[in-house]
Amino acid sequence: MRRKTTKTNWVLTLVLILGTVTIFFPLYMAFIIAFKQPSEMTNDVAGALSFPVHWSLDNFRQAMEVTDFWHSLGNSLLITLTTIVLAILIHSIAGYVIGRGMARKKSFRFIYLYIVSGMFVPFSILMMPLVKQTAQMGLGNRAGVILLYLVFYMPMNVLLYTGYLKNIPVALEEAADIDGASTWTTYWKVIFPIMTPMHATVAILTALGTWNDVMTPLVIMSGTGQNTLPLAQLNFQTQFGTNYNLAFASYILALIPILIFYIICQKQILNGVANGAIKG
Amino acid sequence: MKKRMTNRDKTFWAVIICVLVLFFTFNTLPMIKGIIYSFTNYKGYGSYDYVGFRNYIDLFSDVRVGKSYLFTFKYALAGTVLVNVLSLIMALGLNSRIRFKSAVRGIYFVPNILGGLVIGYIFSFIFTYILPAVGNTFHISGLQNSILASETYAWVGVLIVGVWQAVALNTIIYISGLQTVPQDVYEASMLDGASKWKEFCHVTLPLVIPFVTINLVLSTKNFLMVFDQIISLTKGGPAQSTESISYLIYRNGMDGGQFGFQSANAVIFFIVIVAISIFQMTVMNKKEEQL
Amino acid sequence: MLNGKRVRRFSVVLGIMAGMASLAGCGQGAPESKTEVELVSYKPEAVKAFEEIAERFNASHDDIHLTIDSPNEAMTILKTRFIREDYPDIVGIGGDINYSNFLDAELFMDISDLEEVTEVKQSYLDMDKKLEFIPQEGIYALPYAANAAGILYNKDMFEEHGWEIPGTWDEFTALCNEIKSNGIQPLYLGYKDTWTCYAPWNALAVGLSDADTCSQVNMGNTTFTESYREVAEKMQVLLDYAEPNPYAYGYNDACTAFARGQSAMYPIGSYAIPQIKSVNPSMNIDSFTFPANASEEENVLNSGIDLQFSVMKNCENKEAVYEVLRFLYEDETIQIYLDDQGGIACKEGDFQIPAELEGMRSYIENDRMADYQDHHYPSEMSVDAMIQTFLLDTQEGAADRFLERFDKEWKRYNRDLIWKIQQYRQETEGVD
Repeated sequence: MRRKTTKTNWVLTLVLILGTVTIFFPLYMAFIIAFKQPSEMTNDVAGALSFPVHWSLDNFRQAMEVTDFWHSLGNSLLITLTTIVLAILIHSIAGYVIGRGMARKKSFRFIYLYIVSGMFVPFSILMMPLVKQTAQMGLGNRAGVILLYLVFYMPMNVLLYTGYLKNIPVALEEAADIDGASTWTTYWKVIFPIMTPMHATVAILTALGTWNDVMTPLVIMSGTGQNTLPLAQLNFQTQFGTNYNLAFASYILALIPILIFYIICQKQILNGVANGAIKG
Repeated sequence: MKKRMTNRDKTFWAVIICVLVLFFTFNTLPMIKGIIYSFTNYKGYGSYDYVGFRNYIDLFSDVRVGKSYLFTFKYALAGTVLVNVLSLIMALGLNSRIRFKSAVRGIYFVPNILGGLVIGYIFSFIFTYILPAVGNTFHISGLQNSILASETYAWVGVLIVGVWQAVALNTIIYISGLQTVPQDVYEASMLDGASKWKEFCHVTLPLVIPFVTINLVLSTKNFLMVFDQIISLTKGGPAQSTESISYLIYRNGMDGGQFGFQSANAVIFFIVIVAISIFQMTVMNKKEEQL
Repeated sequence: MLNGKRVRRFSVVLGIMAGMASLAGCGQGAPESKTEVELVSYKPEAVKAFEEIAERFNASHDDIHLTIDSPNEAMTILKTRFIREDYPDIVGIGGDINYSNFLDAELFMDISDLEEVTEVKQSYLDMDKKLEFIPQEGIYALPYAANAAGILYNKDMFEEHGWEIPGTWDEFTALCNEIKSNGIQPLYLGYKDTWTCYAPWNALAVGLSDADTCSQVNMGNTTFTESYREVAEKMQVLLDYAEPNPYAYGYNDACTAFARGQSAMYPIGSYAIPQIKSVNPSMNIDSFTFPANASEEENVLNSGIDLQFSVMKNCENKEAVYEVLRFLYEDETIQIYLDDQGGIACKEGDFQIPAELEGMRSYIENDRMADYQDHHYPSEMSVDAMIQTFLLDTQEGAADRFLERFDKEWKRYNRDLIWKIQQYRQETEGVD
């Protein structure tokens, strides 16, 4: 006999809703400042939080021009999307092979530890040698950045895939094998589709990491004339720092794409992250 | 039968070799090179000499490096504790019987998707202008000066921003942990008339311990590597009080001419991170076994 | 059969990778018949002037195409490019420690056969000579524009109150007190950005210590504790006349505050003028040399090379590059740059001194100038942050601790350099 547990805790609901102010306040402030003119900026609380006199998109237009917004956005999209697709393809195969191999062979167990331990290597130790190396290989560009992301996220993603794989019975593959399918066919037809929830998780975690990353593109593709959105912000800060309104317009512009994406895919993102925690 | 296995093995090895080559080339190889550079006085360009262990000896006598380790540890310790306590509380709240559950959860996750750099710039403005204005209006003396300008408290400012961003992810992980706790466990304890606190200590916590491990390791690692917040909030100041290890390695290794020396710093940093992570996992595994 | 399939799958993966690699060479589209010359400048604020200069050059030259790039974070970008061995043809950098380091790494070409070097004012060629760690044969940089640092002041405010330009340190502090008694903030400092600490520091140091203090220390002839004590003490005095808690505000904040009349003076260099004017275009700014000494005759103007061009050693088209340098050094081109950026031309000739530097004119014309001392400090030593630390230290004996630390750390950060100089001196003295 189960008790019905639908009684809402209204006090807690209220507290938690009030708590969202800590999230909304900085964003609200950034938003308001982005619309104001420099002359409307005052040094008191009321002035900082009041609405602008005119809601004009002028700051945004100017900020877009200065940061070469569409171009930077295009680069960020290209890099993030390519990284996600390749990460799902390559890391899932790697995770599969390592996960299944590990069960039977000690050498694979060793390889697993070798790759996963890469998670603890700080970027700072790799940075300078990588700059040199990517340049020598002709990879001092967007392709190089993508390739590096694939390597940087490999430890985490392999960990996630192998973890998830433990829950998939080997019997499934063995059945397919007996039917005469090749290892590849088995993988693509049987395993790859089963791992769909983990693909979502990998895609989300990889995307969040790469979209906001500054260091890798800064050191790898600097001087190629290509910018990503975060890089454009970094430039903006030094060049036009006096005009906070313009600067905040550009920050809002940088935040908007990922916010929209989040609002649309909120459920999948939260589930994906949670999934990673349970299965990883 | 035997032949089939060999084919599968061949495929496996082919894949694994490709993956290993990729991983070795862009992770292990540069790391080895970094270790080699740590024995030189290389500036990043021009010629260089091998200097033996001089960089490592210098590291241990360099006050600035020492201070950066102290700051980073202090920051990571405070950050990890704060984030885990806060997100566990948040998770308990968000997992209880409240209205608008998914919407509220969604809002609390927002900081995690935003870039650290831009968030840092926004908070920098709040700390420099808004908070002192609040302090002046309501005569709160502690707020009248920007905390980012205070040698003693600037790290708190950096900490606030770091925690603000990190709580989101850890909360979601704790929520998913709480959801693995079967409902009837609570019901059983409720029938026993256990108090909420007792219920938490004796029922909930033991069941989510594996998630505490994940969160501890994850957040410690992230806090130890703090970089974006430093660049956007303090640039290591005031009075070099917020120079994190990553910041120092970047600033002096890349911008300054200390590439060799900072490579040595990075090597030590790597060892420290691995040691801390292994330590955490061993301790927590023991805890898990005990419970 | 099985094998064939497997191979095909592999080729898919390889194909994707190859596709990525082909993304590589996008974005460069210069006509092939022309010789490409690439110039990277470290001054992003001058991007408009450089655009105009490049446009003019390309319009008048059929055989050479000039690209001028002035990215942000330019020094980091330049250094990563050097690591990559992806060198531009010409670099436009400041006459500072980076120049010394790049020169020491043998990255630059001797340009003494360029006739334009004879038109450079001698004092700037001397400054570059002093930046050489080990004395070199030849000339490796073409000084272009210089800046000067001292005190910028609000001219209207000064005229309104009848304040006089101080010539000595005592007159300066008296003036500050008077401004203060009028209820106006005498100085505004942007010490949150540590590099701004260098502005008053250098301006004081050129007046109070020898121009070659750093190399004297390297040779073991003096210590910073001896040379910099007065500089350090006067830095502390400045704090009394600045806004409370200057460590909360950055360079941009300070420029904005000065532009809006929140202070009467601003100890900074001429490079800040375009920034200030962007906030308040109609502002009436003038300047004077930092009155560091007890008598006016001892004052020295702090002026250094803000922009100079060096040719990379492995550049392939020396002729084309020289043509670019000749064009850059035409009076007309220099004027385009100066009109946009202010500053002082390094070329001999009739260039206007900007109105904002009128108060420094006599020093410039009489060559009473000395280079920024921080141009000799290794950047990784972060002397600016050390100065900030010192100023935040309100305990007794702060100056002693700071100077002691300065001497101690200097030895460690410059260990290889000091050793090199000693080697060099032993060799040359051995030869003698």
